[in-house]
Amino acid sequence: MIAQVLLNGLLLGGLYACIAAGFSLLWGVMNVINLLHGTLVVLGGYLAWMAFYFFGVHPLVALPAVALLVGLFGASLQAGVLGRVVGAPVLVTLVITFGLDLITRNGLLLSFGADFRTIRPSWTLGTAEVGGLKIPLDRTIAASAALAMTLALYLLLRRSWLGRAIIAVRMDRDAAALMGVRVRHAFTAAFALSAALAGAAGALLGLVFPISPLQSDGYLGTAFTVCVLGGLGSVVGAVVGGVVLGLVESIAGFALGAENASIVSFVLLILLLAVRPEGLLGRRGYA
Amino acid sequence: MNVGLPDVLVQLRSRGRQATIPSVYPPIIHYATRRGQSGKDHPVTAISRRTLIATALVTPAIARRAFSQAKVIKIGAPLPLTGALAPEGLKQRRGYEIWADAVKSADGIKVGNDRVKVELAYADYESNTPRAAQAVERMITQGGVSAVFGPYGSGAVKASSTVTERHKVPMLAPTASAREVYDQGHKFLFGTLAPNDAVTVPLARFMLAAVPNLKRMAILSRNDLFPLALGQQMEQAAKQSNIEVASFQRYPIGAMDHASALTEMAATKPDWVFVTGYTNDLILVRRQMHELKFTARVITMLTGPSYKEFIDALGPLAERVSSVSWWEPVLPYRGVGPFATSEDYAKAFTARYNVVPDYGEASSTACAVVLQTAAEKAQSIEPIALRDALAGLEVLTFYGPIKFGPSGQIESQKCPIFQLQGGKRVIVAPADIRQGDLQIIS
Repeated sequence: MIAQVLLNGLLLGGLYACIAAGFSLLWGVMNVINLLHGTLVVLGGYLAWMAFYFFGVHPLVALPAVALLVGLFGASLQAGVLGRVVGAPVLVTLVITFGLDLITRNGLLLSFGADFRTIRPSWTLGTAEVGGLKIPLDRTIAASAALAMTLALYLLLRRSWLGRAIIAVRMDRDAAALMGVRVRHAFTAAFALSAALAGAAGALLGLVFPISPLQSDGYLGTAFTVCVLGGLGSVVGAVVGGVVLGLVESIAGFALGAENASIVSFVLLILLLAVRPEGLLGRRGYA
Repeated sequence: MNVGLPDVLVQLRSRGRQATIPSVYPPIIHYATRRGQSGKDHPVTAISRRTLIATALVTPAIARRAFSQAKVIKIGAPLPLTGALAPEGLKQRRGYEIWADAVKSADGIKVGNDRVKVELAYADYESNTPRAAQAVERMITQGGVSAVFGPYGSGAVKASSTVTERHKVPMLAPTASAREVYDQGHKFLFGTLAPNDAVTVPLARFMLAAVPNLKRMAILSRNDLFPLALGQQMEQAAKQSNIEVASFQRYPIGAMDHASALTEMAATKPDWVFVTGYTNDLILVRRQMHELKFTARVITMLTGPSYKEFIDALGPLAERVSSVSWWEPVLPYRGVGPFATSEDYAKAFTARYNVVPDYGEASSTACAVVLQTAAEKAQSIEPIALRDALAGLEVLTFYGPIKFGPSGQIESQKCPIFQLQGGKRVIVAPADIRQGDLQIIS
């Protein structure tokens, strides 16, 4: 049974990591606390739902298109709104993303209503049973895809010119500009990447959770917790933070009751902040 | 200079040219007199003939308006139209609107010798309980409502009923069933959902009789006033029926994952799984039960299976999930109000909204019908007269017999137990309205 609890925690942690990766990227690279992030996750969920409902496309198949669309939406927000306040104090972007969140969330409420939507593909992989361990395959695939995307982000930031440009801008904007990096474009690319990851996370979560505009706060809260836990400025930190949070919630929920799981995870977070404020793997720069 | 009507009246007095003031104009008479006596009026210029003619023309119109205002009953309806409880809030509003439309087409409700029109004053409290109480306060102090329909759920009603009590305005709560709401000694609070033990005790007895060798159950409750109270009542009812409660888990509001709680529950191998919460929670729990291959001979969920969204979202997984409802369209009631029978109500509702009404919607309409009956009985729309009429009311409606107990909660209701079979709600108890037998899951 302990193995089952650990597996539950790992799968949950994979999804948490996916929610948090994009948020961490934006916070770490642009110093923008994007309060719109939870709503972008929900937007991805709705796009996946629409693809399934209107065209019968499975969320895993629709995932690249969903990520692209939400990424373009993010890029347009950065180019049209947030780009105008690059370098402003963090409070300015906080207020702007709060406003954008209100607009987008209420737009979703008007468009889709407050009812819950679920994606029920006609084919599901069901649950595998290995030595008494029940492995929900859809959830496993969603968590694996989430981790794969996070790995792809890591590689992009480490190996590609774009990734190095984004990190250069984070480390020293003026020096990066002198070296030929178009700072404005780097910001737009970072926001687009973050939004694309949020959209993809939404499509994956749509396989597991009901979709509603009202869930965005929960996703945003999870992203915050995972980022602080794992540490800003590190893709691996987002993964570690997500997995740790998932495991802690799962074990605490099993041992102390589901109602105490959040209490335990937040006590852990406070302790960590006291002992290691930069998080488990926090560092300046990114990746 | 722009001279308003009260100023004109002051001017008339000050010049000793006493005009005939319509009897329907007491507030302005009072206003004019007070201002005149205070000596703080603005300097008055000579009154023109044009102003006098305008006054003469305007006064009857205002009189008509004042007269017509007296023929309207304003009812406050705070609802969670946005936020986490928005689906439930929108349903509740549908319950009020179908009644308001029926009353409108009948040219209002009969109060004494008059026909009184109905005006519903909505306020969105964004699923935020403190804001519900604030909205109720505003409705009473600024909106001048004669009565208030309760917000959604036991918690919000408990909070906001202290406001209606303080202002001595009756509140009719359609979706609050926890006894804890009604044990505050309030005199102006009435509820049309039977208490939780009216649900859990018959449910435990029925399951014990219908399921062979039912010995052990596991309970999972949302840690919120109504769902938790329901879970605790179920625990007591199970113990009274000698059913062992092997696990009692509570999950926090907004929980995104139930795997650990379900794993713990599965380890106890229960015959009966009982889950309380709202629609979104229950959809997630049922899906995760399936993912973890956790099942039982009976799965009962409250209150999601009453809603179409639950069935649509879960499809085959909703099959054979049982639940209890406070009302069903097949109930054989005939009574007063715009909808003579349960069937008439269901037909009218389905025709308008293209969906079969659930108990929450029916209870919302029932609150409105009860208020209408109370106004007709009291021959008044004054809050205290309405309260007195409600307290002594004993009436049969499409919703069933309605009589409020000393606490204000309905005490005349029988709750049908149903199971989802073929995507539809099939009543399995009580025997006099039974449509089919309970089917064991595994």
